[in-house]
Amino acid sequence: MEIGPIWRAMSRNKTSYLLIAMQIAVTMAIMVNAFSIIQERSRMMARPSGVDEDNIFYLSSIGFLPEFDGRSASEEDLDALRRFPGVANAIMTNTVPLQGGGWSQGLRTEPGEEIESIGVAVYFVDEHGIDTFDVNLTQGRNFAPTEIMMFDPDANGARWPDKIIITQAMAEALFPDSPNDAIGRTVYIEDDLPITIIGVLQRMQAAWKEWSGVERAMLVPMKRKQNSFRYVIRAEPGYRDELMPQIEKMLAEKNTGRIIRGMTTMTETRERSYLEDSAMIKLLVFIVGVLTAITGLGIVGLASFSVARRSKQIGVRRALGATRPAILRYFMLENFLISSVGVVGGALLAVGLNVWMVHAFDLTPIAWYVIPTAMLILWLVGQLAVFGPARRATLVSPAVATRAV
Amino acid sequence: MLNMKDVSKIYRTESVETHALREFSFDVDEGEFISVTGPSGSGKTTFLNIAGLLEEFSGGTYELDGCNVTNLNDRERSRLRNEKIGFIFQSFNLIPELDVFDNVDVPLRYRKFSSAERRKRIDRVIDLVGLGSRAHHLPSQLSGGQQQRVAIARALAGEPRFLLADEPTGNLDSQMAESVMELLEDINRNGTTIIMVTHEKNLAKRARRNIFMRDGCVSNNDSALHLAASSA
Ligand SMILES: Nc1ncnc2c1ncn2[C@@H]1O[C@H](COP(=O)(O)OP(=O)(O)OP(=O)(O)O)[C@@H](O)[C@H]1O
Ligand SMILES: [Mg+2]
Repeated sequence: MEIGPIWRAMSRNKTSYLLIAMQIAVTMAIMVNAFSIIQERSRMMARPSGVDEDNIFYLSSIGFLPEFDGRSASEEDLDALRRFPGVANAIMTNTVPLQGGGWSQGLRTEPGEEIESIGVAVYFVDEHGIDTFDVNLTQGRNFAPTEIMMFDPDANGARWPDKIIITQAMAEALFPDSPNDAIGRTVYIEDDLPITIIGVLQRMQAAWKEWSGVERAMLVPMKRKQNSFRYVIRAEPGYRDELMPQIEKMLAEKNTGRIIRGMTTMTETRERSYLEDSAMIKLLVFIVGVLTAITGLGIVGLASFSVARRSKQIGVRRALGATRPAILRYFMLENFLISSVGVVGGALLAVGLNVWMVHAFDLTPIAWYVIPTAMLILWLVGQLAVFGPARRATLVSPAVATRAV
Repeated sequence: MLNMKDVSKIYRTESVETHALREFSFDVDEGEFISVTGPSGSGKTTFLNIAGLLEEFSGGTYELDGCNVTNLNDRERSRLRNEKIGFIFQSFNLIPELDVFDNVDVPLRYRKFSSAERRKRIDRVIDLVGLGSRAHHLPSQLSGGQQQRVAIARALAGEPRFLLADEPTGNLDSQMAESVMELLEDINRNGTTIIMVTHEKNLAKRARRNIFMRDGCVSNNDSALHLAASSA
C-alpha cells in the first residue's frame, strides 16, 4: 500500500521513531531472555521427583534420654505407623527428594581407586521403601525382609549390604552402552566393595535439586543404629492433613524419651525448595509486564503527540480524499513499521544477549519459537497502543485544511 | 454543474450563532473561472468548504455534477473530493516530510491507480507546473511560489472537474502571484472549472465572473467588483 511514502516520511524525522523502536527492541530482548529463564526454571520445577508428593509427609524423631534405644523404638514406631488407619505405608530413612540434605556415595563398574566413580544419592530403606515412596520399580525385584542389613556404626561389621536398587538414570550413567541390562551386574562402592544391582526404578530424585545428577539415586537395604532418624509416611489419598497431627501425638505419647520435630509434607518441601525459582519467575513476569506496559504507553504517547502535531496534515489528507479508514490505516501502518524496526532490532539484541547469557550463566539457548512469538506480541501491543490515537486522528475535520493556521 | 440553492451554514458555539451563509444560491457552469471577493468574515471560505465537501451545511440543497450531495456519507464525500475536486490553499499545505513527488502522489494513493499510472500522472503535472527538475526536493527547499505550484500539481493530478482555491496567492509576492495566476488561467483554458477566493482586485478582475460576498450572501454579481474596485 502506502508503505513507501510513510517510510520515507519517517526517515526524514527519525529521532522520535528511532527512540521508540529502540525501546521496543530492548523490551523484546529482555522479554525473550526473561522468557527463556522462566522456561528453564519452569522446566526444572516441573521435573517429577518420582515419589508420591501429594500424600507423603515426614518427620524427625530425636532421642534425648540416655536410656532411649533407637533400634527398638523405631521397630515399635514403624509397626504402629503401618497399622495406623489412613497410613498407606511408612519407613525409617535418611532423607527425601528435594529436601536439600542427604547422603551421597560413588559407584564404580570396576574395583579400584583409579577408576572414576559415579556419584549417587543414597536412601537407606527397608522392604517397604518402594511402596512408601511409591516409586516405580521397572526392572528386577524389591528387597526381601531378610535382606535388610542392621548396621551398627560402632561395631566392626560389614559397612554395606550386597544388594542395591538404582534409578534408571544411574543405570544409564554406569552402563552407557547397555543401560537396560543393569540387573544382576556388580558395581563397587568405597573403591572395592562389590554390590549387586537387583532392581531399577523408573525415577527418584536426589535431595539436591541443583545437582546435575539429580536423578541418580539408589536404595540401600539398611537400618542404621542411631537415636535420631526420620520417618517417611505415605497417607492414603486424602488423609494426609488429618493424619499429621494424629501421628505426631501418637508418636510423642508412645515414647517420651524423644521429641518429634519437623513435621513436613512433600508439597511444602517442593515449594520451599523452589521458592527462589518461583520468586524469580514472578519477578521476571512483573518486569516484562512493566516494560511492555511502559513501551505500550510510550507508543500511545508518541502517537498522540504525532496526531496532535499533524492535525493540519490529517485535515489536508482528508480534503484530498482520504477516508476515515484510510487515516486510521496510515497511523496503524506507521506504527507497524516502527514496531517492525524495533522487533527486528530486538531479535538481534535478544540473540546477542542470549549468546552471552548461555556463555556466562550456562543457560540453554532460546527455543526457536520464542523470538517470533515475542515479535508477534510486541506488534500486537503496538497496534493496540496506537489504535486510540489513530481513532482520534480520523475525527480531524477536513475543514482543518482551510481553517487552521 | 455546481448548483447551490438556499444553502445556509450556521456555526454554533456556546454563546453565539454565526450565520456564515444565508440562503446562498449560486450556479456554476462547466469551464467557468469565477473569483470570489468580499470582506473578511463574509463567508467566502465557508462557501468554498461547502462547495468542496469539506464541511456540511445546515440547510438548502447542493448538487455537484448532477448529484445531490446532501445525504452522502463520509466515504462517498471523500471519494467525490478525491475524484472531482482539487484544492489549493493559501498556505500551500504541502506535507513537509514528503518530497514533491510524494506530495503530488498523496491524492492518487487514495484511488486504485496502478503505480505506473500514478507515476505517469505525477510526472505530467510536475512538468506542467514547471518543476520537473525538483521532483525530489522537500517543500522546505522550495520558494513559496514553487510550493504553491506543487500544490497546484497535486490538485491537478487526479484530473478534477473543479479547482477550488482559497486565496492561492495570499502568501506570495506579486511576481510569484502573477505566475501562479497565469498557471491557473492556463488550466482553466484547458477546461477545468475554477473558483478562486482572493483579496486582490486585479486578480479577481481577470476571472470571467466575479461574485462579491457580504454577510453570507452574494451581494450582486458583476457590479460588485466594480463597486469594490472603484472604492479602493
Ligand atoms: N468553525 C467555526 N466556528 C464558528 N464560527 C466560524 C467557524 N468558521 C467560520 N466561522 C465564522 O463564519 C464566518 C464566515 O467565515 P469565513 O471563514 O467563511 O470568512 P471569510 O470570508 O473566508 O473571511 P477571510 O476573508 O477572513 O478568510 C465568520 O464570521 C467566522 O467567524
Ligand atoms: Mg477565508
